[in-house]
Amino acid sequence: MRRASKRGRFIRAMAALFALMLPAAQRASAERARNASQTSPPQVVTDETGRRVVVPSSVHRIVSLAPNLTETIYALGLEEKLAGDTDYCDTPPAARQKPHVGSMLNPSLEAIVALHPDLVLAAANSANRRETVEALARLGVAVYATDPHTVRGMFESITHVSNLMGAAQQGTALVARLQARLDALQARLTDVPLVHVLFVVWDDPLITIGQNTFIADALRWSGAESVVIAKQDWPQLALEEVVRLQPEYIIFTSGHRESSATKLSDLRERSVWKEFRAVALGRVLNASQEIDRPAPGLIDAIEELAHQLHPEVFLGENARAMNRAPFERPVDICLNTREENSCAR
Amino acid sequence: MRPLTPRRVAGICGLLFAMLFVAVVVSLRMGTYPISVSEIVMTLFRGVAGRRDEIPSEFWLVVFGLRLPRIAVGALVGASLSVAGAGFQALLRNPLADPYVLGVSSGAALGAILSLTFAAHVAGVIQLAAFIGAAATIASVYFLGRRGGQLDSATLLLAGIVAASFLSAMIMFLMTTLSGHELRGMAFWLMGDLSTPPPTPNVLEWLLFLFAVFGVAAGMIYATSSDLNLILTGEEEARHLGVNVRRVKLVVYISASVLTGLAVSVSGSIGYVGLLVPHVMRMIFGADYRLLIPTSAIGGAIAIVVADTLARTLVAPTELPVGAMTALAGAPVFIYLMRRRVR
Amino acid sequence: MSAGAGNNSSISSQPVAFPSETRPRLKAEQVSYAYAATDRSAPKFTLGPATFEAQHREIVAILGPNASGKSTLLRLLAGLIQPLSGRVEVDGVEASELDLRTRAQRIALVQQESELLFPLRVWEYVLQGRYPHGRRLRFESNEDCLLAGNALAQVGADALRDRWMDRLSGGEKQRVILARALAQQPSLLLLDEPTQHLDIGGKVELLRRLRRLSNENRYTVVVVTHELNLAAEFSDRIVLLHKGKCLRVGAPAEVYEREVLEEVFEAPLDVEMRPSGRPRVIVRSGQ
Repeated sequence: MRRASKRGRFIRAMAALFALMLPAAQRASAERARNASQTSPPQVVTDETGRRVVVPSSVHRIVSLAPNLTETIYALGLEEKLAGDTDYCDTPPAARQKPHVGSMLNPSLEAIVALHPDLVLAAANSANRRETVEALARLGVAVYATDPHTVRGMFESITHVSNLMGAAQQGTALVARLQARLDALQARLTDVPLVHVLFVVWDDPLITIGQNTFIADALRWSGAESVVIAKQDWPQLALEEVVRLQPEYIIFTSGHRESSATKLSDLRERSVWKEFRAVALGRVLNASQEIDRPAPGLIDAIEELAHQLHPEVFLGENARAMNRAPFERPVDICLNTREENSCAR
Repeated sequence: MRPLTPRRVAGICGLLFAMLFVAVVVSLRMGTYPISVSEIVMTLFRGVAGRRDEIPSEFWLVVFGLRLPRIAVGALVGASLSVAGAGFQALLRNPLADPYVLGVSSGAALGAILSLTFAAHVAGVIQLAAFIGAAATIASVYFLGRRGGQLDSATLLLAGIVAASFLSAMIMFLMTTLSGHELRGMAFWLMGDLSTPPPTPNVLEWLLFLFAVFGVAAGMIYATSSDLNLILTGEEEARHLGVNVRRVKLVVYISASVLTGLAVSVSGSIGYVGLLVPHVMRMIFGADYRLLIPTSAIGGAIAIVVADTLARTLVAPTELPVGAMTALAGAPVFIYLMRRRVR
Repeated sequence: MSAGAGNNSSISSQPVAFPSETRPRLKAEQVSYAYAATDRSAPKFTLGPATFEAQHREIVAILGPNASGKSTLLRLLAGLIQPLSGRVEVDGVEASELDLRTRAQRIALVQQESELLFPLRVWEYVLQGRYPHGRRLRFESNEDCLLAGNALAQVGADALRDRWMDRLSGGEKQRVILARALAQQPSLLLLDEPTQHLDIGGKVELLRRLRRLSNENRYTVVVVTHELNLAAEFSDRIVLLHKGKCLRVGAPAEVYEREVLEEVFEAPLDVEMRPSGRPRVIVRSGQ
């Protein structure tokens, strides 16, 4: 009996000692962990599609799954951290040299994982599919999906993403620069009425944009408004509507293949298109494909479009005095397009 | 004994033409552009009388540039598909054959996709490429479908199914290379769509060209309709009665394929028309091909004109692809017909 | 439009030409044929040479066991295939040289009907027999209807006129098929085992009809058949084939010899001469 109680007292003493030491031990291990991660604990954020994402505190390797995100990364000066992008990321051209993970709709999950990214950026609801994002998340990869619906939304998106990648300063600066350009553009366009345009996504059959699309918002910043009022994002429009609405400009975005001049001469060869007022007056524009891309290059595209749609504003202050309704503008004002000087008709 | 007479054929066709006329008139009235019936009539009269300068340019555009050509092309496409369907049903000895079963539409779609990927997107290129695709498929399936030097129904059917599957696989593969916008445009084209105005500057030229091709091909099939009646009672028997079965099969194959290729190049794959219209006409008017061919042609024209009118008015100002309309209407009709067969 | 029960030969027959009655309507001279699996392999089966003639109003029966070449010979007579050697002449013209339409105007071949794809009425079916006599795309004339009606009457199928083809019994269908062949107004009528699916009453009726038709309309009829006794009773000439060889040609009484028949058909048979001069074949009982 005596021995048991002696042993019991010893055990109790050891337990008490142990209990005292435990918090200290915990603190020590936490400190060790902190030292290992160097800056701050991993953050839990909500991406732009409402998903919960656990992003490591410091991001060194990034994989981009969409061209606009690649472009943004380069604009932020973070190309060193870009470990891989898609086959179609071509802006800037240097992005083509990066390791590729496949197409945007169907990237190779293995290739992505093999690059050991700390963060994968995806463009939800446009270039990338939700299935890809979810599959990567299940594999334990941190995927942040962007989903801007407006130009301002794009700025917020850039801010979030730059924060995640540890480039908060560059992000803020970039957004500020872009915002400034937009503000300047807005200032010059305040008194000018919006130009009514038809934005042609596809011409055979005629598919145009809905009001809630990204392009529609970008157009508004260029001083234009799509004439089409439709609920869907990509409505197939009856050509009769175009006859009824008679947009002032027709904007295509055929990418790299045809220039405005080519497109115009093609339209003049087609039976119904050639009768549209915009075609007859030569008001057919080929917008850069950046207009559909939430990336810094969008601002260039918006400015370019604004120049093309409102030439009188940018040809000098005198032109402002001649401010008339768009259709009554004298037709000998030449439209200063990117490629060449093309005078209407 | 009341044999078929030319007068009876003309009478029935006249009746159907009247129905087509009504459908056309109603269709002309429908559209999102605000133009009244009297304005339409005025435009038509003045246009036909040659007094174009008296018509407001937008009226002219809507009536003669948009609605009339679309109705005309739709009618031609419907007629082509129906005649082709009737022809294939005889050729393949199968009342459930449709014009796409031999892969022609898949070949045309493949041609269209290839032109998107490689060629400039200029008007008319996509139609031309589609037709070339169709022609290549026609030739390949012909060579695959021969047996003992002439077309054999069962072999031809197999060859067509194989070709269609292969081409569909190629199409799926190529579609993954298309960009988002191209993909969307292609999908509408594949579903069957009449909203594209003629790719040539002169609408009348285009319509005349289409009509000429239709006339020649359908005419050639019609010339074999007595032969087809006999062949349908048995190929051997027909041969013993003096029918040149081998030549008839070749003529029908080529003509029906050309009609299908034409229709698909112009408007994509509009489904069910080529299958159901000959069937319904057969139920009403009998299986004599001397009557079936013309009634199928007019019946098909009516079907497409009605379907297309619905397609462009149901959700105005946006449009539905006309292939969706024919499928919506066609599926229940098909089920009804199938149940009647079981009797 | 319906003719009486067959006494109007002057109205109904309207032959295309009246060939001389002395020249044989059908003449097969040393015709032979060979089937090979491919062009280069040895022939699997050879027929012939066969020689025989037939006049107007004669019925010729081609007899023989299975795979003896009967159908091949029939097809040679129909001009569907070209003989390897020899000639087949119909009305003095080589059969296989005729173009399709002319041949169909002169020779009618009656086979078992294949499955009809779409429903068809009897009169429509018979009217198709007029096809060889007009343009390719044709609408039937009154004369065509008359002739088709006569053909139906001649086979006693007048009452079936408005019935659907797929609802007919075997015997009725047989008659309608024959009517279509008759509507062709041929000189030569060829039938390939027409009695196959008929009962004994049907068989007798068919052969009696053929006899009467050939008498009235001057047809030459060639029938491929298995029916030894019916052939003996109704035909004027027998062609006996055995493994592709043409063993005997002649009147039934001449051809039906016990030893020959036993060898050809490999069965215990006896031949009995009847008072009419026509032989009868009996199976010998016991063994």
